[in-house]
Amino acid sequence: MDFENAKAQMRKGVLEFCILSILSKGDAYATDILNKLKESQLIVVEGTLYPLLSRQKNSGLLSYRWEESTQGPPRKYYALTEKGSEVLKELESSWRELIDAVDSILKK
Amino acid sequence: MKKTFSVNLGNRVYNIDEDAYLKLSAYLERIEGHFSDLKEREDIINDIELRISELFTERLGVNKQVVTLVDVDEVIRIMGDPHEIGGSQEEEPRNTWERRSGTKRIYRDPDDRMIGGVCSGLAAYTNIDPVIMRLIFVVLLFMGIGALAYIILWIVVPEARTTAQKLEMRGDSVNASNIGNFFRDEFENVKKSFRRRKS
Repeated sequence: MDFENAKAQMRKGVLEFCILSILSKGDAYATDILNKLKESQLIVVEGTLYPLLSRQKNSGLLSYRWEESTQGPPRKYYALTEKGSEVLKELESSWRELIDAVDSILKK
Repeated sequence: MKKTFSVNLGNRVYNIDEDAYLKLSAYLERIEGHFSDLKEREDIINDIELRISELFTERLGVNKQVVTLVDVDEVIRIMGDPHEIGGSQEEEPRNTWERRSGTKRIYRDPDDRMIGGVCSGLAAYTNIDPVIMRLIFVVLLFMGIGALAYIILWIVVPEARTTAQKLEMRGDSVNASNIGNFFRDEFENVKKSFRRRKS
């Protein structure tokens, strides 16, 4: 079932890209990010998000701060770091290259 | 009437039914087992607990003050089972950690033994009921070779000490979710025997 693994890896790569992209539009806490990812059906179970966020935070792409909430537990707001926005720019350009490349093969 | 526990999730206190509590703590243990090979484990578990806390808050109000099994089931469905979550290191370099997957080895079973655990270990290896295995050895004993065979096996066959060895003894593959399941079963066993002793 290597195919399943390939699909999972592809989805994971795209997810990391999308998380950075969502955060580039403004700081957000996990549930905001989740709602956006769910809207576009990129994520099936919520648990998938947390290991990705932790990894991005540890590689210096994200930072976070705590904010109190009136409705529930305190919220961890994530923000893009400088390194994060650089990585996002790179990802964006390689994403377009990839789409063009795949498209040109599919159309042949 | 139901017994409840109070738990601290993301620094908020919740009253939770006993059955719901057991299910939730087993789930969190499995999650923890799933990420056991990551250094970010603590962060991830905290984030997940925080989200569960938030989901509980959404479900509680003036008319509903206790988290029930239905709530926990729904939260687990939303968060996802460890195998749906993915993201642990185990699935990236596939088959390196699961190198011994499905292989069976003979061990002596220290948890189910009469003398040295030889019979129950052999029973696990051959998928025979331990009682029948013991009867075979009793018959061999009367034939005059049982005692010697048993002693030799006792010396030669190692005891299953670690969880990984116990899984290998049963022929289960050694991976995080199996280890999680194993602990859950053990926990249930302890609970049952505790209840039996109380009644």
